[in-house]
Amino acid sequence: MLKSQRQKDLVFDSVIYAALFIIMLTMLYPFYYVLIASFNKGSDSLLGGVYLWPRNFTLENYRMFMDDPKWVRAFLVSVLRTVSGTLLGLLLTSIVAYGLSHRDLLFSKVYFTVIVFAMYFSGGLIPYYVVLRSLGLLNSFAVYIVPSMLSTFFLLIAISFFREIPGELKESAHMDGAGELTIFFRIILPVSTPVLATMALFMGVGQWNSWLDSAYFVQSEELRTLAFRMMEVINKSNSPMDSIAVANSASAGVTSFSLQVTSMVVSIVPIICVYPFLQKYFVHGIMLGSVKG
Amino acid sequence: MELETQPRSPGTGGGRRSFLWKRFKKQKVLHLFVGLGMVYLLIFAYTPMFGILMAFKDYSISSGIKGIFTSDWVGLRYFDEFVHDYQFGKLVRNTLVLSLLKVIFAFPAPILLAIMLNEVKHMAFKRFVQTISYLPHFISWVVVVGVSYAFLSTDVGVVNKALLAMGFVDEPLGFLTSPNYFWGLAVGSAVWKEMGWWTIIFLAAISGISPSLYEAAEIDGAGRLARIRYITLPGMKGTIVVVLVLTIGSILGGGLVGSNFEQAYLFGNSINNPTSEIVQTYAFRVGLSDGRFSYAAAIDLIQSVISVALIFSSNYIAKRVSGSSLF
Repeated sequence: MLKSQRQKDLVFDSVIYAALFIIMLTMLYPFYYVLIASFNKGSDSLLGGVYLWPRNFTLENYRMFMDDPKWVRAFLVSVLRTVSGTLLGLLLTSIVAYGLSHRDLLFSKVYFTVIVFAMYFSGGLIPYYVVLRSLGLLNSFAVYIVPSMLSTFFLLIAISFFREIPGELKESAHMDGAGELTIFFRIILPVSTPVLATMALFMGVGQWNSWLDSAYFVQSEELRTLAFRMMEVINKSNSPMDSIAVANSASAGVTSFSLQVTSMVVSIVPIICVYPFLQKYFVHGIMLGSVKG
Repeated sequence: MELETQPRSPGTGGGRRSFLWKRFKKQKVLHLFVGLGMVYLLIFAYTPMFGILMAFKDYSISSGIKGIFTSDWVGLRYFDEFVHDYQFGKLVRNTLVLSLLKVIFAFPAPILLAIMLNEVKHMAFKRFVQTISYLPHFISWVVVVGVSYAFLSTDVGVVNKALLAMGFVDEPLGFLTSPNYFWGLAVGSAVWKEMGWWTIIFLAAISGISPSLYEAAEIDGAGRLARIRYITLPGMKGTIVVVLVLTIGSILGGGLVGSNFEQAYLFGNSINNPTSEIVQTYAFRVGLSDGRFSYAAAIDLIQSVISVALIFSSNYIAKRVSGSSLF
């Protein structure tokens, strides 16, 4: 009886470990494959059979990428929007959340109603476009930053975090004659690293990955982001006429496919780099806002 | 600080007002902070809501924001036009099928993964698998489509090359260019991208279950499967219901597995269009590409009305059936 139970457990465990192992491979291998493909000679990749390591190692793909001012510029635009968008978004979100975190704030019911309503209802893309157009934001770098500075979702997460900061901290500062601005910048922000890191990760990743706003609201070539350019090469090769696109850039063994995987690596690497530093915060931070108790 | 919380003496209306005013003045910096956010929402969230009016009007973009109010009413003309559009049937079918397939396949996946991870005793392995599983959540749809291209395309796709080399197929399969594969492709990539992410919430729910329940069940002779069925799953019930309500409410947008629009737009092409064109991509095309703002706004509006109705009714049903709900 006991033995058969143990045997059953063994089968059960093997099934689970096998399944998890397969899931892990499915998640990892695509990234690995893209990486090796970016170091393989483009014309060689087209022959197939490259599975585990680069067969025809080359740095030509990356050189091509870095020699092309269009890609370099797109990369810089992406970096700039990620850094400034994240910092400004953090600033506005936490300032507003700090005000709202005071339980004795007058009219706070009104404020919260305004926020929650905005969370569930929206005007849709077309009216939004018209608003951005009237504000003169179309075709400017500001369109990447300004409209995304405040998200109701992050606002609620930040509020619930600020509420857990002990009130004595603020009170003693009040006694010492500190104003709200001083308290906010000198006391609240420094103790809020976990929630700030969480929001920074999400805002940063959102900014870095965003291509829709570049496609909708920007026509100027100089303002294109890395994600948008990537979308362009992928969409071009994804369409039925892909062989033409491949033939066009087949110089020095670099193909549209090899350029594509290279740009993908360039866009994934920054995310992988910040991931381990920030993930210890976000699992806790996101829980705070979503599941309580 | 203390003054504010003290009970105030009953007085006339004027006294109350001056009391409120005093409190307000005391909090003026805070109201300034919050006011920034309110102005922001007014501009970027509420003004577009008024813009919905343009769906009932003959709006032209040259009239700017004022035109929303000044242009002529046309009633339901654009709604009528959409319903009689020759693509209407196809668009509605594709939108609904894609959304439903995602709920059916992508909703249970993270629950299953959370249960499996919970059964793993090696903490290091468990943590490693989990960390890897939510990595794709942070990668953009553009990259996911790029990866799919690298694996599934007819010319460079690894899968096709491998199938050809092993002799399973005579010519490459058009995963990305055939209408037959689009739904599978969209659902599969959505599961791949978001499964691990939603697992976090279900694992949190499992960790709230008291270990003594498992011990008692073990003493009573319950096997591993019985424990999952009678302890783990019931323990997750509340979270499952909340996530399901969220999913159904956002089903037209792609539910918990991300954007239907981005998938349909990025995976879509002229050949798989019969299954890949959805209401949102169509609204985008007629709106921003063709400049038919009122028509696109009307299509958008139909969709958001359905979404809001879905979230309220699913929430209501969840409350009736299980007692847990979102609001």
